[in-house]
Order: sequence, then structure tokens, then C-alpha cells
Amino acid sequence: MSSLDRKMDRILKREESGKGRRGIKNRTLRKIFANKLSIAGFVIFAGILFMCVCAPLFTQYSSTKVDLRSILQAPSASHIFGTDKIGRDIWARILYGGRVSIGVGFGSALIATVIGVSLGTICGYKGGWLDGVVMKLSEVLMAFPQMILVLILVTVTGQSLWNLILIFSVTGWPSMYRMARSQMLSIREEEYVQALKAFGIGSMRIAFVHMLPNAIGPIFVNVTLSTAMFILQEASLSFLGLGVPLEVATWGNILNVAQDLTILKDAPWIWLPTGIVVTLFVVSINFIGDGLRDATDPSQIG
Amino acid sequence: MATYTLRKVLSLIPMMLFISFLIYLGIELMPGDAVDFLIPPDALATMSAEQLNAMRESLGLNDPFLVRYLKWLGGLLQGEFGYSIQSGVPVATLMKNHLPATIELTVTALVFSSVFGVLFGVLSALKKGSLIDQVFSLIGMAGVAIPQFLLGLICINAFALHLNILPAGGRMASAGQSFVERLPYLLMPALVLGFSLTAGVMRYARSSMLDSMGRDYMKTARAKGIPEWRVNLLHGLRTALTPVVVLIGFRLPMLIGGAVVIEEVFQWPGIGSLFVNAVRSQNTPLVMMIGFFSVLLVLISSIIVDIVTAFLDPRIKLS
Amino acid sequence: MKRKKLFCLLLAAAMLVTLLAGCSGDKPAQDTAANASQPAADGGLGETGGSAQTSGGDAQTAGTPLADVRVRQALAYAIDIDAIVETLFDGKAEKAVSFTAPGDWLNTEIPVYEYNPEKAKELLKEANWPSDYTLDVVYYYDDQQTVDLMTIIGQYWQEVGVKAQFRKLEGDLAGQLWVPPADMVNGPAAVKWDLAYAAVAALSESEFYNRFASTASNNSSVPAQDGLDELIERSNATMDTDEQKAAFKDIQQFVAEHVLAMPLYHQVCFIYTSNDLDTAGSVFGNDQFSYEKNILDWNINRDDHTMYTNGGPQEFFWYPMVNPGYMLSTELVFDKLIRADSSLNPTDGMLAESYTVSEDGLSIEFVLRDGLTWHDGEPLTAEDVKFTLELMLKAPGTNAVASETMQAITGAADFMSGAAGDLAGVAIDGNTITVSFDKVSANALLVFSQWPVLPKHCLENADPAALQQDPFWQKPIGSGPFMVDEVVLNNYATLKRWDGYYKQGTGNIETIYMFASGENDSNLVINATAGKIDYAWSKSTDEAKAIEALDSMSVNVANIRYTRCFYINQFPHEANIK
Repeated sequence: MSSLDRKMDRILKREESGKGRRGIKNRTLRKIFANKLSIAGFVIFAGILFMCVCAPLFTQYSSTKVDLRSILQAPSASHIFGTDKIGRDIWARILYGGRVSIGVGFGSALIATVIGVSLGTICGYKGGWLDGVVMKLSEVLMAFPQMILVLILVTVTGQSLWNLILIFSVTGWPSMYRMARSQMLSIREEEYVQALKAFGIGSMRIAFVHMLPNAIGPIFVNVTLSTAMFILQEASLSFLGLGVPLEVATWGNILNVAQDLTILKDAPWIWLPTGIVVTLFVVSINFIGDGLRDATDPSQIG
Repeated sequence: MATYTLRKVLSLIPMMLFISFLIYLGIELMPGDAVDFLIPPDALATMSAEQLNAMRESLGLNDPFLVRYLKWLGGLLQGEFGYSIQSGVPVATLMKNHLPATIELTVTALVFSSVFGVLFGVLSALKKGSLIDQVFSLIGMAGVAIPQFLLGLICINAFALHLNILPAGGRMASAGQSFVERLPYLLMPALVLGFSLTAGVMRYARSSMLDSMGRDYMKTARAKGIPEWRVNLLHGLRTALTPVVVLIGFRLPMLIGGAVVIEEVFQWPGIGSLFVNAVRSQNTPLVMMIGFFSVLLVLISSIIVDIVTAFLDPRIKLS
Repeated sequence: MKRKKLFCLLLAAAMLVTLLAGCSGDKPAQDTAANASQPAADGGLGETGGSAQTSGGDAQTAGTPLADVRVRQALAYAIDIDAIVETLFDGKAEKAVSFTAPGDWLNTEIPVYEYNPEKAKELLKEANWPSDYTLDVVYYYDDQQTVDLMTIIGQYWQEVGVKAQFRKLEGDLAGQLWVPPADMVNGPAAVKWDLAYAAVAALSESEFYNRFASTASNNSSVPAQDGLDELIERSNATMDTDEQKAAFKDIQQFVAEHVLAMPLYHQVCFIYTSNDLDTAGSVFGNDQFSYEKNILDWNINRDDHTMYTNGGPQEFFWYPMVNPGYMLSTELVFDKLIRADSSLNPTDGMLAESYTVSEDGLSIEFVLRDGLTWHDGEPLTAEDVKFTLELMLKAPGTNAVASETMQAITGAADFMSGAAGDLAGVAIDGNTITVSFDKVSANALLVFSQWPVLPKHCLENADPAALQQDPFWQKPIGSGPFMVDEVVLNNYATLKRWDGYYKQGTGNIETIYMFASGENDSNLVINATAGKIDYAWSKSTDEAKAIEALDSMSVNVANIRYTRCFYINQFPHEANIK
């Protein structure tokens, strides 16, 4: 009741002040663009993403090129963020490391989503024994504190980039599954689904083609937030020395050297800019996620 | 409610059996075994096959996988937690040695984050859109986005290395220090952990407070002429707290093993670092027990959360 | 709706590109290089021969390019160790030309492979280095410094046209690293790698070189060489230091000439002392092992007469079989039969009042001091000594040098197999113990100066195969100048000066407070900064650098026998990376 009241009030106010509908017609897009934070988030996100993808355009250095004649150099014109303990350019490492870190984060989120959403869609629509089994499985996985499960799995599989993506996907799908399943459960009762059924359309087709698109908003929000979460997890694991093998440049691995108190104190250029980039990137993804959530939530005004 | 609780608790048994089997299987699948970590590789190379076999036999590593698992389970049922493969020390003693440190850290962080999270969240909601609200939401965002270990490093850098007012890590400078003397050691890790936890509570508290402020019974209360602060505090806050309590409840499992990263950054001698070492050295009995109890705590917390929510919100029925 | 989809699609596409770019980005430029070396005309893989190849065996037909000595030399020529030592190790390590560190024991005539990339390229070309071959290099340390070193070396090799991939081994290390092939002449290798980065912490020179013998149980990489086994035999057959030195110098020459392994650098040991501690002029030495520190004469400028150090038990006090003196606690709680000086040379008696080696070196007689007791008041007798020697034969992981000496004792084989109930070679007559050997054990005195005597009355019922797991190691009882007082596992432990010790010093240290730590104490710098470390040691250059910067501490450097190297798998084996 009350939210409807407020909504009407605001629409009325807007009508009165002469700001009717104009500009972008799509409601979701308009709402996203109306949200300044998510715009800012998108700009930062796209900026960092672009610089990482097109890293060679922004730095002449390689992320792996060792130069023993210029180690631990403070930021200067030739190395804008200085160099690390074996003379690698920090800026280049941030850019190339970003590829891996973003890749791991997004890749894991994508795989976890594909697994979770497919299972959730099927189980949510059909129910039955499959639903029961998958539900139990997700309960088992969710019963572990995240870090404890990840640590055990890392030791079982060994440290590698692909293993890490695998582990994040395995630990990440249950929440996607739960979310997709509950969406399907609520959509299942709607009339148009009953109508489609009456037309004799196959249940898989109904579930994936006709029902799933209606749940795409929350799913997309979840992908963004999971990406942010996995990027943070990769950084933490690499910091513990249990993530991506240390020779690969990733944001976490660059930060790993800050465990040495001398570096921490005297060479902040090695870890601080990297830390800021990670934080900025995660913040921007969160802003986008928030914007998307608001935009796809039909109960909020637009 | 009693039957509900009983049923839930009973349903934990098959779940825990399955999960403990999974963890055991996981340790089994790790490359190598405990002997590889007990003896350095150079010394291992000079040991004869008979010696190695005798050692594995004594450590009980030679039995088939299932037999070892069942032995472990049998021990657990008799309240026997097993012995560390590394040292032969009872696992219970090791956990007893490490648990106080972790609980000290996490309880402080949980209390800090709950109190300040609720406070800031409610304030933001009451002053929605104001400067305070924006500042708080910025802080909240930072708490979510800055990696815990990075914040830890920044604090060590600032307060320990440059300002020199707090110790850079560890839990105490010498034995038998009282809690007050140990406080400087606790301060940084607990606040860093607390800060990143605060953000979640704050966001929850804010949105549920906003939600409850717009409800009809609030309007009714206002209409009755009750002062604004009483309306907000007595009627608004109580319902707004329900989801916050749920969130805090779900964080209880952190009491064991939830602070792995922070413990590593600050060299805090808790369960988290014990677990990391146990996993690295394939100390099966230790990994099993820590894993087992942390999972159990997750499941029990979720039952407690169910009960507490039902208690707080009369509309929810346990079924 | 269309636009929203487009928007989502674009976003997804952008991230997918990153994913692909990121995941292919993990293999650094190593793949792209190797342009410097021209593939030879015939491209024959691992064809060897040539002037430098003097060793015998059938390595000529071997299925690995590393069987060619010129390739091994080239790999050594390609690395600028001086630059690495200067930068990565901050000058706090020493370039290695041999396993043996500079000093009396080093042969200064041996060939040295100074950094010379041109020479390396030349040799590779001569040897027809197959440019498509990727070296499989393994290591097992998980510290940042090792990874950095591997990265640097990878780049040096890349610059001369050799591709390499580095990987960290997990799990059963001994099985992956040190299994010798069934046929020590022709192979094939029982291990997969091309090069293995390793460290040798040697108590005696023999520990460096025994592993090159074709009979060594841990020689996984070097095929039988003409004459090398005899040289090694010669070095082990004498207790005379001069004869030993001469023998080792010949071995060094042989190993360096054929590049049987590639020594990289010697690590040093950093000993940290606080300004509150007066060590009474004691000479510091190799703290990886035990040596006479005269700690009873040390003075500490603290009111409670407490000296702070690390190495307290995390879960247990280390049993001394693997590392007899790595932890200060082991060194101070347990006494040995013989004393050692800071260079680990055996000096006078410790528990033994005197000792005599027979003319032929085949027996040693120890006379114990009168009235010795353990910390718990029980008498320390010759029976304890005999029990300890028997235990060392049965306990797992006994250090190679000690184990070799123990196995040389008469009757050791029968005792091990169970044919004899006790060790026949150890005879007891009151306070006198005579140990007789089947063959001369070159390091016997060294072993008796490092491995302590353990109390029979506490350990006789312990299971030797799980010795470390015995409750004894929670609060061990020894016979040294300090006894274990209070133990809080994983937190701290204290040692108390023992007034029953046979000797009293002039110092004032009553208590030693030990912070719990493992082999690497991650809290060392933190505690030192807080003024809570008076004596400690480590091998970490990072820690040395940090502690050097403290006004309250001084850093002493001691040379140790600790050499980092590459072992080179010269047995035929399939390329592990294709």
C-alpha cells in the first residue's frame, strides 16, 4: 500500500513539475542511467577493463620482463608505478595481472551461473527427485564455511589458474541455483505458463525460453556481485600463497610481496596502487550490480 | 517449537555423516600423505622401504581408506577426537589451545560490527538522503570492496610501522598477560575484521529500517500521538532488527575458522592458521575435526536463526 | 528490451575477452622466444660426443639433450649469478662455484662458468640444442624469493635461446625427486624433470658429494661416471682431515668439469643479538647445528634475567634425529658426547670426559663423566648411550650422515633386521663405552658431537617408528645446561637454568623465553622490533635486512654448508613438456 502511495506521490510531483517521460524509452536502461553511482561504476569498470584488455597500448613493458639493473625503483617517468624486487614494471603487472584476476573472477562467476541457473531452472520447474538431490547437494556445499571448503579443494587439486576457476565454480553455483530455483517457483504459478502448457509446448522449452528471461534481472545482478566476490577471493588466496601460482601476475600475487614488512614499509608503490585498483574495480562492479538491481526491480519507481 | 528443533537436529546426523565422509575423501585425494610432511625429502630418500612402511603402520596410514574413515568415525562417537599426526598431541588439546585466540578475535569483531552496523544503518535510514547517509553508505561500500588483508596491511603500515603505536602482529608479548595488556594486539585485527563485517550489517539494517518505517503500524503509532523517536525506536527498530539478527546469526560460524585471512595477516595464533597448517601438512585428524566442527556450527547456527526469527517475528511459523 | 539485451551482451563479450586474454596470459613470454639459437641443420635430438665429453657410460645414445656436457655448461654460462646475488639477495649470499663454500675445503683450480651468454650460445649451437625443447624445471619451496629466482633464471636462459617452464612439486617429494633408475648406466630416468632446484644443508662435505655415486639411494640424475665412485669411496674411507680434503678437491674438480649438477649460491646464516645481551666473546658459527656457545657465561641486561628467543614448540619439541641442533631448545636441553666448535669441528668431551679413536679408526672409546644425571634426577649411564644409538638406527628420518655412521657400527645390519636383540658393536664397561665399526666412518666424531644422548628410562617403551609422536616430546627431559620448565604449545615455552649441570658458568641468564615458531618464524621481525628477541638466527635475507635496520639489534653473519643448486637429469627421459 504505502510504497504505492509514495510512488504515486512522486509521479504526481514529477508530472506537476513538467518532467514527463522523455528521452530513453527503455525503462531499465533509463533507470540505470538515472543512477549516477552506477554510471560512475560503469565508467570505472569499463576503463579498467579496457586498459587491461588492451594492456600493450598502455605500457611498453612486459609483466614478466626482469630487469636486475632497476630493482625496487620508486615511481618515476620511465616506470610510473616503480618496479618490484626483481625489476618488473608494476604498472605493466597491474594491467596484465588484471587480465588474469578479472578473467578468474568473471570466468568463475559465469560457469557458476550457467551450472546454477540451468539446474535451478530445471529443478524449479520440474521438481521431483532431481530437485531433491540437487537441493541436498547445494545444502552440503553451503554448510561449509567458504574459506575452509576452498582451502581443502585447493590442496586436493593443486594450485593452477584453471583449478582455481573450477573451485570457485564448484563453491559458487549453489547460491545461483537457489536463486534461480526460487524465481522459477514463483513464475511457475503465473497464468501465461499455464497457457503455454495447455498449448502442449515442451517443458524444457517453457522453462528456458519462456520463463527464464523473466528471471534474467536477478541473475545478472548475481553475476556481477559474484565476479566481485571471486576477484576478492582470488586476491585473498593468492595473498596466502594458495591461489594462482606465484609466477603468474595477478592482483593477489602482486600484493603477496607486502607480507614482507620491509616492502610494506619502504616500498608502498608495489602494493598500494594495486590495492587501489582492486578496490576500485570491486567498488565499480558493486555499483553496477546495485544499479542493475534497482533497475530490474519492478517494485521500484522509474 | 520443541518438535521442530528436535526434527532439525536429527536431520543433521545424516548430513554430518555425509559431509565428514566428503572431507575425509578430500584429504585422501590430496597428493602425497602425512609422512611426506613429517620427514624432509632429503631424509626420506635415505629411508628404506621397510622403515617407511613401519612408520606408516605406526601412524595408521596403511589401512584401507574406508577402514580408516570408520575408525575415525568410531572414535568420534566415543568422544575421541583423535591425535595430531604431526605430534601425537590430542586434537582436543590443540583446538583448546587455539580456540580462545580465535574466539577473542571474532567475538570482538562481531560485537563491534553488530553494534556499529545497526547504529549506522538505523541512523542512515532515519536521515535518508542526508550527508550522514551518504558518508555511511560510502564507508559501507569501502568495507565490502577493500580486501580484508589489504586493509590489514594498510593499518599495519600506518599504526605499527610508521606511527609505532600498535604492535604489528602476534597476540601477546609475553606469557600470562592479562586481557587489558593484550588489548593493543587485539585492536587492529579485530577492528579490521569488524570493519568489513560492519558494511553488511549496515546495509541490512538501513534497508529493513526503511522498510519498517513505511509500514502501516508505524503510521498508526504516529497517529496515536506517540513521539517520533519512540515510534522509531520501539516499533520500527524491533521489526527492523529481524533480518539483522538473521545476518549476525549466519556469521556465528566465523567463530571457528572464519578469520583465516586476518589471522594470517596479523600472525594471530588461532584456529584459522592451525587449519591452514593442518591442510598443508595433511594432518587428517586435525583437518577433520576443524572441518567437522565448523560445518556443524554452520548448520546449528541456521537452526538457531530459524528459532530466533520465529521468536522475534510472530508472523513466522516454524514448520 | 532490445537495447537492454544489447547492453548485457556487450558487457558479457567484453568480460569474455578479458577472460581469454587473462587465461592465456599466464604463460609468459617464454613460449615466444628461443629465437637466438638457430636450429641446427640436422636437428638431431641430444646427439652428443664432442671434445668435452670425457666421461664413460652410454650417454651418447641418451634421449635427453642434457646428457651433453656442452648443454649443461651452456646453461651454467647463461646465468649471471653475481647480479642475482647483488640484487635479489641484497649481497647477503655468496656465489657458488662448487657445492663446497670458499675456504680450506674448496679446490680453487676447478673450472668456473662465469656469466658469458655468447659462450653459452656457441656451446648450444655446437651441441645442436633442439630449439623446440622446453626444459621442465621443478622446485619445492613456496616462498616468493624462490619464484623470483626461477623467473630470473628463466629469463637468462631465454636470452640464450633455451625455453624453460617452472613448476612447483606437490605431495610425495622424495618419490618425485630422488628415486634412482634401475640401471645406473643407461637409465632410463625414474624421475620426469629436466632440472630440479634444491638446497643441500650439509653437516659434512660428504653430504654434498655422496649423492653423485652410482650407489647412492638418492641419485636420480647422474649416470655412473668413470672413476667418480672410487673418488667418493676414498673421501669416505678416512678420518684424517687432510686426506679428506684432498679427496674432496678431486671430486669437486670432477663435478665441475662435467657439470654433473649446477651449484648456484651459498646461503649464509644470520645470527641476531640484542644490545641487552653480552655473549662473552663467543664465536658465532653454523647455527643450523650445535656448537659450543658458552651460553652459561652470557649476561643479559634484564631484571628478570630472561633471554628472549624463538623456536618454542608449536605442537612439540623436535626430535633430534633429522635436525639435531636446528632449534636452540634441542641444543640447550640435550648434551652430546663430544663438544663441537663454531666450525662444527669436534673438540673435547661433553658428556664424555674423554674419548679416544683407535689407530685404525675402527673403534672409538668414550669415558663418561662421573655422577651425570638427567634433569629428573635419574642417573645418566652408558646404557643411555647404547639405547640412543639403537634408537637412531630404528627411528625414521635419521639424517644421512648420522645414519651412515650408525650403519657402519658392527652388528647394525643384524640389529636392524631383528636377527640380533641389541647392537653388538657397542660394548659397555662401567663408565666406558666402546663403539666398534665394520668400516671407517669418516664422520663418526662429527655425529657424536651433534646427535645427543636420549634418556632410556623415558623412551624405552616408545614406538621408534612414531618417535616424534611420543608424549615425551611435549616436555622432554635432557641433560643439558637448561631444562624445560613451562610449555604452552603454540604460544611459548621457557627453559630454566639447571643447577645439576656438571659445569657452572659466569653468566646470569636464568630463564630462556621462547616464542613458539616453526622452522621459519614469521613473527621474528615483529618480535625483534618489539624488543622481545635477544638471540635468534635465520637464513632469510629479508629478515636480516629488516633487523639490520633496528638500532637495538645487531646482525652477525656466519658461513654454513648450505648450497642451492640445480640437479640436472642426465638419464634418458621423455621430454615432459611437449
